[in-house]
Amino acid sequence: MILVGELSLWVALLVSGWACVVSFAGGALGRDDLVASGARAVYATWAFVVLASLGLWTALLTHDFSFRYVASFTSANLPRVYTLTAFWGGQAGSLLFWALILTSYSAIAVWTNRARNRVLMPYVAGTLAAITLFFLATLCLGANPYERLGWIPPDGNGMNPQLQNPGMAIHPPNLYLGYVATAVPFAFAIAALITRRLDAEWLAAVRRWSLVSWFFLTIGITLGMWWAYVELGWGGYWMWDPVENASLLPWLTGTAFLHSIMIQEKRGMLRKWNVVLVVSTFLLAILGTFITRSGVINSVHSFAQSRVGTWFAGLLALTLGVTVYLVATRLKDLKSTAQLESMASREAAFLYNNLLFVGIAFSVLWGTLFPILSEAVRGTKITVGAPFFNAVNVPLGLLLFALTGIGPLIAWRRASLPNLRRQFAVPVFGGVAVLAILLALGMREWHALVAYALAGFVGTTILQEFYKGIGARMRIHGEHAIAAGMRLIARNRRRYGGYIVHAGVVILFCAFAGRVFRHDYDETLRAGQSVSLTDPYGHRWRFVNSGVSVFDVLNRHVTAVSLKPTRDGKPMPLIESEKRQHFDTRGAPLFEPSTAVGILGSPSQDVYVVLTGVRGDDAAEVRITFNPLVWWVWAGGVLMAFGGLIVMWPQADRARARSGYHAVMQPEASIAGD
Amino acid sequence: MTRRDFIAASSAVAVTAAFARLAGAQKTDQKTDQQPDQQVRTTMSGPMDEGRYRPVLRPAKPNAMASMTDVQRDELEHGIHCMCGCTLDIYTCRTTDFTCPVSPSMHADVVRLVAGGYSGPEILAAFVLVYGERVLMSPPRSGFNWAAYLAPFVALGAGGILVAALVRHWRPVAATTTAASASPPGLPAAETSAGMNEAPAGRPTAAEATPEELAKLDAALRDDRA
Repeated sequence: MILVGELSLWVALLVSGWACVVSFAGGALGRDDLVASGARAVYATWAFVVLASLGLWTALLTHDFSFRYVASFTSANLPRVYTLTAFWGGQAGSLLFWALILTSYSAIAVWTNRARNRVLMPYVAGTLAAITLFFLATLCLGANPYERLGWIPPDGNGMNPQLQNPGMAIHPPNLYLGYVATAVPFAFAIAALITRRLDAEWLAAVRRWSLVSWFFLTIGITLGMWWAYVELGWGGYWMWDPVENASLLPWLTGTAFLHSIMIQEKRGMLRKWNVVLVVSTFLLAILGTFITRSGVINSVHSFAQSRVGTWFAGLLALTLGVTVYLVATRLKDLKSTAQLESMASREAAFLYNNLLFVGIAFSVLWGTLFPILSEAVRGTKITVGAPFFNAVNVPLGLLLFALTGIGPLIAWRRASLPNLRRQFAVPVFGGVAVLAILLALGMREWHALVAYALAGFVGTTILQEFYKGIGARMRIHGEHAIAAGMRLIARNRRRYGGYIVHAGVVILFCAFAGRVFRHDYDETLRAGQSVSLTDPYGHRWRFVNSGVSVFDVLNRHVTAVSLKPTRDGKPMPLIESEKRQHFDTRGAPLFEPSTAVGILGSPSQDVYVVLTGVRGDDAAEVRITFNPLVWWVWAGGVLMAFGGLIVMWPQADRARARSGYHAVMQPEASIAGD
Repeated sequence: MTRRDFIAASSAVAVTAAFARLAGAQKTDQKTDQQPDQQVRTTMSGPMDEGRYRPVLRPAKPNAMASMTDVQRDELEHGIHCMCGCTLDIYTCRTTDFTCPVSPSMHADVVRLVAGGYSGPEILAAFVLVYGERVLMSPPRSGFNWAAYLAPFVALGAGGILVAALVRHWRPVAATTTAASASPPGLPAAETSAGMNEAPAGRPTAAEATPEELAKLDAALRDDRA
C-alpha cells in the first residue's frame, strides 16, 4: 500500500497536469471531448491522491521509520489517534492533506455542476487542476512525505506534545477545509472573468462554497482558540499571533463577501468588488499558508516550517498577476446595473460593513507584516504584539458590531426618517437600558460598557426581527409561536440563519469584553498551605495545595499539583495542573516539558490554574487566573457555526419557489431591462 | 477566450511549474543529511535563544521606594517582550513557559528597577536602550512607527471618502433610474414572510403599491400558506 501510495502521488501530478491543460484547451476551443476528458482527469486525480494519502497513513500506523516524515513526527509509543493525526502534523503531510481536500472539493464541484454552468466549468476545472498541480508539484519536488532515510532509526522523534491534544486533532482539518474551500469560488471567479460571464450566474454557483469555507473557518478558528486556551497555558485564547491572524484574514474578507453578494443578487451592484473579495479571500488563504510555512514571521503555531514558503510566495505572485490582468481587461463587463441611491439604505449599510471588514483585514495584515517593513525601511527590528492590535482593532470591531445591529433595521434603496425612527426605537432603548443597568451596578470600564451597550442594541434588533416575523406568521397563518418560529427560519434560512450568526457575534463580543475583568495571581504553595483570593464577582476563594505528585503515564513523565478550592466556604471540585516531559520508547526525553492546564469552568468564569514550577519537593509555583465569561466564547463560536449551517442548508426547489427565492436570485436581468 | 488568452494562461502554468522545479532542485541540494528532522530546544514559537538576555541595570534613586504595586508591575511586564525567541511578553512567558531562562531574568531586572524607584516609562526606556525597540510589545508611537498606527485608519478614511464620492457621482443617474423604474423585481422572501409590517422607503407602501406588486405579494402569501 505504501508503494502504491508513493507512486500514486506522481501519477496524480501527471493527471492533474493533463486535467489543467485539456480543461482550458477544451473551454478555449469549444471541444466537448477535451472538456469531458478534463473532468474525468479531475476525478482520477482525486482517486490517486486518496491512494497517496492511504499510503502515508499506512506508513504512519505501521511505524515505518524508514520514511523521514514518519521518523520525524511520530514514535512507536505515540497514542494511535495522534499517529493518525500526524498526517497533518508536519510539513509534507499537511500539504498532502491540502491536496486531498482540494481534489475532493474539485471532484465535488465538477460533479455537482456536470449539467450546469457549461460555459464556466471547463475553466473552473482547469483553475482547480492548476492549483492542484501546484500542490502536487510542491509535494513531489519540494516536501515529499515519502522521502526515505538512508537507514532505519529504532524509533522516531515523536510528536510535539502541544499537538497531542484532541483540539489539535480536529482544529487543523477544519481550518484546512475552510482555507481550501476558498479555491472553488476563486476558480469560478477566474472562469467568469475569462468567459466574461460576470452576471449573477457565477455568484449563485459560488455562494454555497463561500459558506462552506466560512463555516469551516469559523469552526477551525474557534477550535484553535480553544486549543490555545487549554494547551499553551498563557490564559488567553487569542494573542494576535501571525498564524492566528492568517486564519482570521480570509474569514474577514469571506464574511464581507457573504454580505456584499446580497447586493449583487438583489441590486446588481458591487460586481467588481465581489470579484476582488473572492480573489482576496483565496489569496489571503494562500498567504496564511505562506506565513505558516515560510517562517518569515515568528509564531506559536508554526509547527511545520520549511523552504516551501518560497513556492507559496511564487503562487501568490502568479495568482495576483493573473487576476489583476483579468480584472483590468474586463472592467467594462464588471459595470454595475444599478446604483446606490442613498447613504441611508440597506445597500449603504452593507457597503459600510464591507469597508469595516476589509479595513480590519487590512489592519491585521498591516500589523502582521509591519515588523518586516520596519526592518526593511529603518533596519530596526520591532515587535507588533497584542497591545497594537487591540489599540487599532477594538474601535473598528466595535463599529462593525454596531453595524451588525444597524444594517437589518434599514430599508433597501432609501430609508425615510419615520421608518428609521420606528425601526430603531426598541433596539436603541435596549442598548441604553443595558448601559444604564451596568452603570448603576458600578461598572466603569468604558470598553466593556460600550461592548455591552452595543450587545444590548444588536441583541434587541435580532429579537425584534424574530418577533416581527413570528408575529406576522401567527397573524397570517394562525400558527403557534414555536411552530411559527421554526417555519420562519425554515422558509427563510438565509435571513434568519444570518440573524442566528449575529446572535453568536453578540455572545462573542460579550465574552471578549469579559477579558477586562480578568485577574491573575502568582502564588507559591507548600503542601497543605493555602491562599485566599477574590474573583471579579467578589467571591472569596481559598485554594489548598493537596500536594505535588510525580508519576509516569503512557509516553510521558508527569509532575502534577492538586489544588482543593472552596468558594465562599463551599467546597468546589479539585483542580489539577501538570508539567509533562514526553519520552521515547528507550526513555530518552523528547521535546521541552509542556503544560496541562487545570480549568474549573462555568458559564460565569473559568478558574485557570497553571503549574509554573516546583521548588524543592513539595512547593508548587502556580498561576491562578479568574477568567470571566470564557465559556461564552465557545458558545458564541458554536452558535455562529450553527447559524452558518442553517444558511447553507439546501432549500428544496419547491420551498424556494414558494419563498420567491428564484426572483431574488435573478434581479439583474429585470433591473437591466427596466 | 481568444488564442492569445489561452497561450497567456498556459504560459502562466508553465512558469509556475518551472518555478516549482527550480525550488525543488534547491531543496534537494540542501538535503545532505540522512537524519530525521532533529528537535532543538524550543520556546512556544520556535528555537530558544538563551543567550539573548542582557542585564538592564540602573543605580537605585536616592531614598528610593517601590514605584508601583505588584499588580502595576505585572501590567508593565505585559508591555515588555521576552527576548528568548518567543512571541510572549515577559509576564506571560515567565508564568507559562517554565523552561525559559530569559523571562525570569528580565523579570528580576524589572523588579530591581521598580524597587529602585524608576517609573514605568523610565523602565521601558531603560529596556529599549539595552535591547532596542523590539523589546516593546508594540512599536513606540514615534517617527516611522506612526505609519503602523495610522495606516489602517487612513485606509479606512480613504475608503469612506471613495464610497461617499461614488454615491455622489451615482445619485444623479440613480434619480433618473428610480423615476423611470418600478420597485425591484420580486419581493424578497424575507419581506413577504416576515417584514410585512415594515414599509421600506423608496418602495411603495401597501397603500401605494402598484396592482402588479399587490398581485405578486398576494400570490407569495397564498403560496406560503399552502
